[in-house]
Amino acid sequence: MGHKNRHVGIIGIGQTTYSSHREDVNQPEMIQEAVALALKDSGLKIDDIECVVHGNMELFEMIHQPDIWHVLGDGGYGKDAYRITTGGTTGITLVAAADNLVASGMYDIVMAIGFEKLQEGHTTGGITNMADPLWGRSLQTGALTGATAKDMINEFGEDRARRAAMRHRITLDKHAKLNPNSHRSFGLEYDQVEDLMDNSPKLVGELRLIHMCSQSDGACAMIFASEKKAKELSKHPVWIRDHITVHREETFNLFGHDVPELTHHYAARKLFERNGIKVPREYFDVFEMYDPSSWWGLDWLREFLLLEGDEHLRMIENDDISINGSFPLNPSGGVISANPIGATAMVRVAEAAMQIRGDAGGHQIPREVKHALASGFGGTMWTVLFMLEKELGWEEID
Amino acid sequence: MATYFGIAVDDIFNTMQARFRPEGAAGMDAVLAYDITGDGGGCWKITVKDNTVKIENTDDLAGFSVKTTVDAETFVGISIGKVDGMSAFSSGKMKVEGDMSLLAASPRLFNRFTPPKKGVTVHDIFATLVERFRPENATDLDMTIGYNIGGDDGGQWTAVIKDGKCVLETGLRADATITQIVTAKDFVDLVLGKLDPMVAIGAGRLRIAGDMKAAGIVPKLFAKFTPADAGEEQELIVLKRNISVNMKYSTGRHLGMFLDALKEKKIIANICPKCGRYQLPPREVCAECRCRVEDFKEVGPGGVITLIEDVYYASPDPLTGETRETPYGTVHVLLDGCTPDCTFWHFLKNEDLGNTKEGDRVQPVWAEKRDGGVHDILYFEKENG
Amino acid sequence: MWHKRFQEMCFDVIEPIIQKTGVNWDEDNGIRNIVTCSDDIFDARTISDNAVTDAVGAHYRGEEKMAQDGINGIGYALSCILSGHDDVVLLVGHCKESQSESRNMITNLAFDPFFCRPIGLDYENTAALQARAYAAKAGITEEQLAKVVVNARKNASKNPYALAQELVTAEQVMNSPMLCDPIRELHSYPVSDGAVAFLLASEDRCLEYTDKPVWITGFGNNIDSYFLGDKVLTSNFAMKRAAARAYKMAAIKDPSKSLNVVEITDRYAYQLPLWAEGLGLCDENAGGRWIDEGGLEKMNVNLSGGMLAGNPLMIGGMSRAAEAVLQLRGEAEGRQVADAKRALAHGTTGPVGQHQAVLILEI
Repeated sequence: MGHKNRHVGIIGIGQTTYSSHREDVNQPEMIQEAVALALKDSGLKIDDIECVVHGNMELFEMIHQPDIWHVLGDGGYGKDAYRITTGGTTGITLVAAADNLVASGMYDIVMAIGFEKLQEGHTTGGITNMADPLWGRSLQTGALTGATAKDMINEFGEDRARRAAMRHRITLDKHAKLNPNSHRSFGLEYDQVEDLMDNSPKLVGELRLIHMCSQSDGACAMIFASEKKAKELSKHPVWIRDHITVHREETFNLFGHDVPELTHHYAARKLFERNGIKVPREYFDVFEMYDPSSWWGLDWLREFLLLEGDEHLRMIENDDISINGSFPLNPSGGVISANPIGATAMVRVAEAAMQIRGDAGGHQIPREVKHALASGFGGTMWTVLFMLEKELGWEEID
Repeated sequence: MATYFGIAVDDIFNTMQARFRPEGAAGMDAVLAYDITGDGGGCWKITVKDNTVKIENTDDLAGFSVKTTVDAETFVGISIGKVDGMSAFSSGKMKVEGDMSLLAASPRLFNRFTPPKKGVTVHDIFATLVERFRPENATDLDMTIGYNIGGDDGGQWTAVIKDGKCVLETGLRADATITQIVTAKDFVDLVLGKLDPMVAIGAGRLRIAGDMKAAGIVPKLFAKFTPADAGEEQELIVLKRNISVNMKYSTGRHLGMFLDALKEKKIIANICPKCGRYQLPPREVCAECRCRVEDFKEVGPGGVITLIEDVYYASPDPLTGETRETPYGTVHVLLDGCTPDCTFWHFLKNEDLGNTKEGDRVQPVWAEKRDGGVHDILYFEKENG
Repeated sequence: MWHKRFQEMCFDVIEPIIQKTGVNWDEDNGIRNIVTCSDDIFDARTISDNAVTDAVGAHYRGEEKMAQDGINGIGYALSCILSGHDDVVLLVGHCKESQSESRNMITNLAFDPFFCRPIGLDYENTAALQARAYAAKAGITEEQLAKVVVNARKNASKNPYALAQELVTAEQVMNSPMLCDPIRELHSYPVSDGAVAFLLASEDRCLEYTDKPVWITGFGNNIDSYFLGDKVLTSNFAMKRAAARAYKMAAIKDPSKSLNVVEITDRYAYQLPLWAEGLGLCDENAGGRWIDEGGLEKMNVNLSGGMLAGNPLMIGGMSRAAEAVLQLRGEAEGRQVADAKRALAHGTTGPVGQHQAVLILEI
């Protein structure tokens, strides 16, 4: 269980610019932009693609079976075509699906496309529609909660926790500034910590507007190939080592009690155990984490890296997480800077892969990146975790 | 007067009365105050009442329902759609006091400000004539083209084509190869393609004197004139639709029993036969044990608060479209009898927000009329004593 | 089944699997990954799989939602196992057409908001266009279509899972009110609800769960273009390509001779002969003749009653696969084909067969 039939390499990546104003394109046109970029990046033609995997959160744009219309833009005409969606994790689940389809031997070259055009729907209303219509829907307000902030304040003290969350936010804003695709970067500076901490409008408890992710339009396409094809077609395929998906029941009581183990921790624990990774903080050279808010981004650093105590806060305080630091986090700016929901989780893998390839441009980490970690988040605390490698030949533990 | 993107803050406020949309003000009774800082700024007070609006340029902003403080450049930028309002608000560039929900009201109250369109002038066209010259079509050409443009904004020019070059002079030459005689407005329309030359000639609005054969080559000598802001002229058509498909949701047996019990002022959970955990509201399956859960038991109705959330931002209720007044509180309550992981999520009485903490005991307050839904419980309030 | 929540419907079909196979969700040896199938708009739930996480046992396990006809979920689950990522996969699909006031309002939402949607296209009226085109090209007659329906009801009456079991006569079919010309009421599948579940396992583990594993020997799917005018409605473009891939994998040279059981997703009667042509069960334009010459009986087509007997969208193809599995295992009581060794199950997604999937199963 858990060892791959054959290796799968990422050989093409295409991302549209993320923004809240893509009125100039319709949905298939926006998808086509990402597809064209991915093909260009890989040097392939659309005819070389055998299979297309498509995904987004259909209820946001209110299109039933969107792959039917979107075939105009995703190039799937005459090809095998799958559609897989899992809420916020959709993008990274699409990567998992492509990985499975290629590793299975059923296809040699697969393209996955994640996208969202949130401006064509009502995002918060769409998220509220997640809740059961007969109970939770009246109580839920989008994806907002102040529970994590409260927990962290209780554990580390109000001042320290709030500062760390804001520092995390500002660091990622600086990363976003270097990423031409990102939707927004405010040009924040560290001397604004106090001002923003106290004055950014509150949403729920200590969760403030500045902490929350954006709502963006955009698409991301990635091309995957079997080992043989990847080596033939690409100078620098990025290898998918392993992935794990961990869901949690839809609960009406997600907060308000101590969950024995968050899915993030469980996923990390299982994934690292079966791959023999003992100290993730040392093993990985970069982490593209799906961080819907700064508080969650901060808290989950401890969960994903299996840290203890206040190690994660110290990582923020010591600037370890910046692009030049010892453990760069979200060099792309993360989800706070761009969030086209159906694509967002895929972008994490794409950005991690670009770091390994060394061609991320302005937000490239200045050291060699050999081992990358990428995460996706969605649903009621669902986690998907991916490991990418620059070179084959990692030890296999059955 | 300081301008940003070619527009002054005053321009925006001075046109508000004309841009006002009474239908967007229906039922509104509010005062929107603006403190625009920086060069060209000022204080403005907009009073909306009885479907009318009053706009005052005054320092007295007392009694506002909502007040926005922002620098002039950002204000103008947001007004014309060049700056994202949400980003300005999130990053702290724009500060808002008072009723935040009114922030969303502004776009409904006024049609968007559009800067007055700067029309193309005759001078614009001649200013670019030489750079638009196409020497490849002028080999061995030796001619002069006179432009006698009448009316306001008119003038007289002569283009001298020789040795593969074009030189523009002011004034006319009596011996010009050809001379075009036309009014300024028609000249601009001809150049922009809005007026057909043959139509203009036929109507006598364009007269050409001189060598008619040479006149034929003139269109090939210059590249087409494109106005500077041509790219921004594209009209984006927006289709707005409310998609609504009625649904009939089943409660299923388990949720059905729970909702029914609410009518009797009872709260019931169900208990997993394998792990013993309580599920509230009751569900068909225990997620951890993957088995059916049929054992029902009444719990609470009172319990202990495990988490309070102070909610400052509300989204519209999906069924009614109404937005809750903020701030309001939601609580997670561990009802008496439940296992620790089974907290119950509901609203906290508004009056208790601020003087209630985790660990306090609360009890539900029931609606007078109950029909088996989440609002059968109005909210939870602190228990007495 | 309007009174059941789809959560319970899912568990209703998973429970028998647990009982029959003894499978569990053990972290190391049990079900680690679940593939679900559902649609947000039919369920009116953003992330429709979130509603059933507990019912499908995905709590602290993996789950991926197939957002097309669930037969594609079989193909996908196959890849999860062949890739080496999982040994055991649970596949569960559900849909409740009865929850919404009109399934046609929902399928209308599959079309682009600018042109096709406003002119009112939905799966039903586009099917009518295709039915008309097919009749014009292949000369399919009302009598032949009636035979399809009569047959479907006859078979459904023997299938405990079927919804529309009332027998009908050819006259009744040919006189039934026009639904959307030329499709009559009795030519159309009824508004249906349902759930289907499968347990899939790798070759070296399947005997832990059953002594009669049904092998997936072929799978292919394909998608045609979108605008009706961009394609030839009668060409079976996607079907032929999907079938070609499935047949190649299963080493089938002549499907009209190699299959013991055929299950075709026929939302409307005309689709049975049309898809049969695309699958190569009969010659092009010979669908009608194939019916007249007893093709349905000879090839054991839709002994379940087909989709005409009542399955909702999203799991029509999945239900065909379920029937094929039962037939191959000898568990299709009352309608069992003797010595069934190899079956074909077909599913379709979207309007007018824009997306087709073909599955080959063998025992």
